[in-house]
Amino acid sequence: MTSLRARLGLGLISSLALMIGLLWLTVGISVRLLMEEQLASRLAHDAEALLGGLSIDDAGHASLDSRRIQGIYQQPFSGHYFQIAIEDEVVRSRSLWDEVLPIPRVALGETRMDFITTGPQQRPLLLWTRGFRKHNRLVQIAVAEELEAMRAGMRDFHLRLAAWSLALLFMLLLIQRYIVVRSLRSVSAAADDVVRLERGEISALDERVPDEVRPLVAAINKLLQRQRQRLLRSREALGNLAHGIKTPLTVLQQLVSEKIPVDDVDTHAQLQRYGRQIKEQVDKSLRRARLAGDSLGTNHFDLRKDLPLLVDTLNRLHRDKSIVFQHTGEAATLPMEQQDGMELLGNLLDNAWKWARSSVRLTVEQGEEWQLLVEDDGPGIDAAGLQLLVQRGMRQDENIPGHGIGLSIVKSMVEELGGALQFQASQSLGGLQVCITFCNRT
Amino acid sequence: MRLLLAEDDPDLSLRLKRYLGRQGFAVDAVHNGVDAEFNGRETPYDAIVLDLGLPQRPGLDVLANWRKAEVKTPVLILTARDSWQEKVQGLQQGADDYLTKPFQEEELLARLQALIRRNTGTVGQTLTVAGWVLDETTQSVSRDAQRWELTGVEFRLLRYCMLHPGRILSKTQLTEHVYEQDADKDSNVIEVYIKRLREKLGRDIITTRRGQGYVFGKPV
Repeated sequence: MTSLRARLGLGLISSLALMIGLLWLTVGISVRLLMEEQLASRLAHDAEALLGGLSIDDAGHASLDSRRIQGIYQQPFSGHYFQIAIEDEVVRSRSLWDEVLPIPRVALGETRMDFITTGPQQRPLLLWTRGFRKHNRLVQIAVAEELEAMRAGMRDFHLRLAAWSLALLFMLLLIQRYIVVRSLRSVSAAADDVVRLERGEISALDERVPDEVRPLVAAINKLLQRQRQRLLRSREALGNLAHGIKTPLTVLQQLVSEKIPVDDVDTHAQLQRYGRQIKEQVDKSLRRARLAGDSLGTNHFDLRKDLPLLVDTLNRLHRDKSIVFQHTGEAATLPMEQQDGMELLGNLLDNAWKWARSSVRLTVEQGEEWQLLVEDDGPGIDAAGLQLLVQRGMRQDENIPGHGIGLSIVKSMVEELGGALQFQASQSLGGLQVCITFCNRT
Repeated sequence: MRLLLAEDDPDLSLRLKRYLGRQGFAVDAVHNGVDAEFNGRETPYDAIVLDLGLPQRPGLDVLANWRKAEVKTPVLILTARDSWQEKVQGLQQGADDYLTKPFQEEELLARLQALIRRNTGTVGQTLTVAGWVLDETTQSVSRDAQRWELTGVEFRLLRYCMLHPGRILSKTQLTEHVYEQDADKDSNVIEVYIKRLREKLGRDIITTRRGQGYVFGKPV
């Protein structure tokens, strides 16, 4: 059993049930003993009265003063009986009718209490017997009372006690459940935080949790922070590396175009090719290294916060155009780290801006999987071009100077991030439509 | 056109300075962020080329400080950092264009010219004011099928005047925008070049406002 709540609940339920059960048992037994004691003292009292009403003549005949006998002993089978044995003579109450009580033999001064399961009319009895001395003779007086009434009272009492105990148990269970849920709420809040962390909505867990869980949460936060710092440092280092390689490369390329005679076409072409290869290789490696991938503890690209900045930037970079940009779809974020998203959307939208005549549309939907659609109203690409695009990751946009190879960057990024890429003609805008899908990770 | 070039690589800086000089720009080159910030703040440049990887003070901080101090000079970021995150940061910080290394010099020139034209509110490859057509690529001026070649300083002077037609331009202002920082800034030299332009293109091209300066075209 791994659920804390279930474990606590079960423990509390069984201990409560045990306690209530014991209580019920103890109370039941004590009350029964108390009632029996009371019954016995009443029987003893009646026996004293009988002894007082008993007279024995010199011949040894016993007679009982009927005025001293309570009426209940005179009605047949009333449930109250007595039987007096003076040596061989026996005096029985009228209520006994023709029944005989099986009285045990007792010595002088000895008192016995017996339960008789089959008294008159097969009813159980409590039999109280004691040996007295009167006129120098041993007088054994037995007084009995049917237990039926007492037992009915006891049953009644036990039922009521059980009902109350159950009600108490139920109430206590409710209270303990409330306590358990309340104490575990901060733990489940931390679990919810972990889900939000995976979705990239937050970058650290809330540390306002109980002392028992805090070291764990703090350790996770520390790890996340370390990872973020490492990402930051490596991106900084990559930036420096780019700076260190590309500035000399610029000078080299300019030296080539300046120092090598214009008519040496072969050398020009070769050097330019090598220069381009170096640049492409560096770009590719740097881009791959910059990707955060699906690391935890990093904020995801926020379409409400980050997209407007990107669109503003694109509008500034393409000032000669006035593009109407539309953003539709329900999703609030992209399923990737913020800078990864910026790079992917930057390249996608920059390509769309470059080719579009007047409109670009971005649609991001989050359902079974994430879907990104970028459409423009540019010339699009014909069937052969589409084929090339899919097969080789292509260089269709290379003839616009000053810009990279946007779509092939997008292609390799999508591959790195584990998504799928499709090109087709946009139904509504008429230009190119780039469709990217990512599986839901959670 | 006076330009601030903030680039820490000495070779690249020198090459760009020479190239842009040939294209009719007066170029001040600085090699660290602190100098860049000071110069950009104190001198009314027409455009600034800013490398982000500057020593002493990062280029983005320099840019942010300029914009905070209300320096409105158009800035072109020239950098090896080519991620979109950095592009967005640069342009949100107030840059006007972004060019990544390695680049062709011609590309830089085209972007700079576009930036300056946009900033002064003119459009097109050539500059046409009051019937005069200034061609930036050949550094020549033409009117009614007649064409005149211009020297470097003449071209810079005329371009600055044509970018601000009808406005009074003081000698100091002209000196600041036509010459580099360490050039001989005798304002009398401006008079000499104004005279040369008048000799080439006719007396009326630039009128003199005594005690104030010069005006190209009709006053606004």
